[in-house]
Amino acid sequence: MKEFMLIFIGSDYATLGLSPEQMQERMGKWFAWNTKMREQGVIKVGDALHPHGRRVTGENRTVTDGPFAESKEIIGGFYIVKATDYDGAIDIAQDYPDYDLGGTVEIREVLDYGN
Amino acid sequence: MSDKLIDHLFRHQFGKMVSILTKIFGFDHLETIEDAVQDTFIQAMRSWQNAIPENPEAWLTAASKNRVIDIFRSIKAEKNRTTKLNIQPDSTTLDELFLDHEIEDSQLRMIFTACHPRLDPRDQIAFSLRTISGFSIKEIAAALLIPHDTIKKRLQRSRKMIASENIEFEIPIGQELPTRIDRVLEVIYVIFNEGFHSNKKEMVTRKELCGEAIRLGKLILKKPEIRLPKVNALFALMCFHSARLDSKVNANNVLINLSQQDRSKWYFPLIMLGNEAMNQAVQSTDDFSSYHYEAAIASEHLRAPTFEATNWKSIAKWYEQLLQLQYSAYTQLNLAIVYLQLNDLDKAKANLDKINPQDLAQKIFYLFATKAEYYYLLKNQIESIRHIDLALAKVVNDSERQYFEEKKKSYL
Repeated sequence: MKEFMLIFIGSDYATLGLSPEQMQERMGKWFAWNTKMREQGVIKVGDALHPHGRRVTGENRTVTDGPFAESKEIIGGFYIVKATDYDGAIDIAQDYPDYDLGGTVEIREVLDYGN
Repeated sequence: MSDKLIDHLFRHQFGKMVSILTKIFGFDHLETIEDAVQDTFIQAMRSWQNAIPENPEAWLTAASKNRVIDIFRSIKAEKNRTTKLNIQPDSTTLDELFLDHEIEDSQLRMIFTACHPRLDPRDQIAFSLRTISGFSIKEIAAALLIPHDTIKKRLQRSRKMIASENIEFEIPIGQELPTRIDRVLEVIYVIFNEGFHSNKKEMVTRKELCGEAIRLGKLILKKPEIRLPKVNALFALMCFHSARLDSKVNANNVLINLSQQDRSKWYFPLIMLGNEAMNQAVQSTDDFSSYHYEAAIASEHLRAPTFEATNWKSIAKWYEQLLQLQYSAYTQLNLAIVYLQLNDLDKAKANLDKINPQDLAQKIFYLFATKAEYYYLLKNQIESIRHIDLALAKVVNDSERQYFEEKKKSYL
């Protein structure tokens, strides 16, 4: 088994003008996906992220406040999942709920120094 | 940990929070308030992905409460603002304001404001669905089959009106109450009927509007001071109608006539709830409202085990009394239909003759269809076909057209 990080890139929810009902519905989908992955035992860790943050850059350790990316390309969260290969990870990513909102899942294999 | 949220939790919570925050900050800041409440849902979306909290409602309430300080600051920060705020956000007053009964009262204040006689009746509905029921503009537009921009304008107009007329955010008391509550009940009933008679394909939309109207009715019934008999009567009426919602159309969204409906699909718990409210509605009053009679009629239909067993005599009696209380061409038409069921063609004719076709406006095809049926029972085939053709020429709704076409076949 390998580990993959699923990185969710998309619009900040706050800018999409979703109605309360739509938000509840979307949250239900996230929750269902999470539950499914837990039941299958494929999920290692994962969380949603606040859209803004801080950035420390350069030799002077300059701190800047977010947002850093285009509002449509915000990293909204991540999961680390277990799968045999990329195909397995892509399978898992099928249930990501925000494709219809223009969201993207970037999949990156976690380097395993043990091998 | 619960694995599923109560249906429409966010939507209803939106109404609650906007109401209580309006009580605190006033209508001038409605937009800031709506944004802040919206933001608590976004917070919830992020933090509930992995686990839904034990008590989601309390979580959201607490999150909105924490927003008070933010809203307070952002209002103060606005340039040249001299607006007086009702409260200072110290924690004891705040805790009191966020108690359940205070939240309920604020929702009622919002309902009475939304249905204030100074607002345009069309604006009242849009504004109620937005601020009390938490519908988005898009959802209101879809539910009412009205363009998005029109709804937007109606919302803006009502907000402006509330501000410019200084409409107070209060539950009316004393002499003012009966007339003010009439308008509230009318708005609730319109919302209900929009759902119940909707042409929309999706059953979901229809149920949402009916459910929302029932929820608003329930909210008013919770408060003894405004729990008038007619509130119970309207509540009973909506329960009775809703019980039949699933049997009204078939899988292809074709309207099923009452005589053909599968009565085993009627939803018993709603009938029980309606009966209970009806008992309350008639207790210690003989001042019956139109809702009383309409509920009585609906309950006669529900009581009949088959269409043939319907007590038409009793229904005719209720319609006669309803007509006396409040004239409506539709009531008169319904009464004519009941007499057709009773095979009392003379009385049916007498009622049909009294109807001024103009009163029915675009719904005139109902009159034609009823006359067609009358002539059919009179064995006058030419006139019955002529009238059903008139009905077919005016009908707009596909499923009703289909129904009339079936009728025509049976007349041939």
